[in-house]
Amino acid sequence: MVRKLTKTEGWLALAGLAGILLLVILISLLLGSVIISPRDLLKSEILWQIRLPRVILAALVGLLLSISGVVLQGILRNPLADPYILGISSGGAVGAAISISLGANFVVFGISSVPATAFFFSLLAVFIVYKLSQVAGRAAPETLILSGVALAAFASAILSLLIIINGNLQAIYFWLLGSLSSATWGNVITVIPYALLGGGTAYFFSKELNALLLGEEMAITLGVEVENTRLILIAAASLMTAAAVSVSGLIGFVGLIVPHWIRLMVGPNHRMLIPFSAFSGMILMVAADLISRTILSPMEIPIGIIMALVGAPFFLYLLRRRRVEGK
Amino acid sequence: MTVVQVEDLVTGYDRKNPVIKKLSFSVKEGHFVGIVGPNGCGKTTLLRSIVGLLKKFHGTIIIGNHKIENLSRRELARRVAFVPQLMEPVEGFTVEELVLLGRTPYFDRFSFENEDDYDAVTWAIKELGVEKLKQRSIMELSGGEFQRVAIARALAQEPRLLMLDEPVSHLDIRYQVKICKLLKKLRAHRSIIATFHDLNLASRFCTRLVLMKNGELIAEGTPDEVVTAQNIWKAYRIKVTIQTNQKTRRARYVLLP
Repeated sequence: MVRKLTKTEGWLALAGLAGILLLVILISLLLGSVIISPRDLLKSEILWQIRLPRVILAALVGLLLSISGVVLQGILRNPLADPYILGISSGGAVGAAISISLGANFVVFGISSVPATAFFFSLLAVFIVYKLSQVAGRAAPETLILSGVALAAFASAILSLLIIINGNLQAIYFWLLGSLSSATWGNVITVIPYALLGGGTAYFFSKELNALLLGEEMAITLGVEVENTRLILIAAASLMTAAAVSVSGLIGFVGLIVPHWIRLMVGPNHRMLIPFSAFSGMILMVAADLISRTILSPMEIPIGIIMALVGAPFFLYLLRRRRVEGK
Repeated sequence: MTVVQVEDLVTGYDRKNPVIKKLSFSVKEGHFVGIVGPNGCGKTTLLRSIVGLLKKFHGTIIIGNHKIENLSRRELARRVAFVPQLMEPVEGFTVEELVLLGRTPYFDRFSFENEDDYDAVTWAIKELGVEKLKQRSIMELSGGEFQRVAIARALAQEPRLLMLDEPVSHLDIRYQVKICKLLKKLRAHRSIIATFHDLNLASRFCTRLVLMKNGELIAEGTPDEVVTAQNIWKAYRIKVTIQTNQKTRRARYVLLP
């Protein structure tokens, strides 16, 4: 028997997650290289200018990557899919490396050069992967995944070449590891529309995502316009991921483990999966960022390292648990 | 009332070498039509074409009063439901959640399931006699139970036409009979088309049969009209004699020694 949450229990659980999120955010605001006492919370300069935007950005990045992971696992019908599977990370990395190598320094729509180029190249990569996979108007999931792998290999070669030619190893490497240390209010404001639009699109396509659980052909006989749905959702997931990558670099595992973990908890229904993953992703990222800034304080460990250190073993644990429960 | 009408249908995967080569038949409301014929004769292809999974090259398919090409996928899904030979079980879903997926063609973009949808789910589950399994996980069901759930999912679409591909071929004989009896009951207020391997089983339960070979029609009519030694020779190249079951009055073939 599977234990299913009733509607009320579902809302209560979501409210509980929201509560945990607020708590983690509060702790994150107080702790850091400078510890702020709760009494000075409202008048602290550090809090308003540095910590608050950073914590909010961490939460938004967590939300973007988690929802994007759920969506891509759903439309590609592949449990290994994560936000980076269609070449976004590779594209973003090349973009950032080009920008760093050229020492570019410009601002578009309030976004500085590295995030802007990373964003642009991320989307370019997905566009290339999608176009390459399209045969007779149809992009099959397997072809998409394989094209993503091929593009990632190609992009990684370009990335290595850029590093060797320019010798900006440290700056590029630091970006690749992912970090929220340069978070600003500007970042927060640019990312919010992606979170709202992307998250909303994913949520309102949860019916289609659910129908796709039965396979592509069954979804068609259930009236789903599979091709359009896939295009819209890939676009939404790509914009969400590109936004996250542009402000935080490559943070792995969030978009992979959160959907798996939540699926084990609440089942495969996307209407539950999407909001629960969103909250869990936010909590996870805020907590990981807190650890990254405090554990070796005053030194800061890139959050990507923390996520991989915790994420990889946790993912293996989830896999094992799934296999044991499947028996 | 005619639920589906197929005229001069040519379809398949390759225009030059179609699987279905000019086939016509129609199905009236309240009928349970069995499609039979040797392996590779195009039974599944025919089904896939009527449920909209395969484009036709020529001919017409009329669902109710509409040509199939004039119906959107959603509109088609509200009229025709499909149960594939093997549906993928969804890990983590309960029976009820799986059946609810059948309501997908009725959902609007910005709203989710309402009372009507739950009523349809409850009704479909009851029609298939799987009330007791409602809260069970899909993964725990036996083959026969799962097949009933798969049919309930299709029935929740409230289709005028229910199409099933080999609904009983992977089940034991107890479930073969059970599913056939259920389908026979379900044909009221709608029509059912199913492909069969077992000609005798189809003859026993279907109200009409369509016998095909190489994408062409060999015979169409009541089981007695279709199950004849001559037709079976034409379709399968085996010699049989026909007996009529005294109780059911249905024709069945017996292999000659």
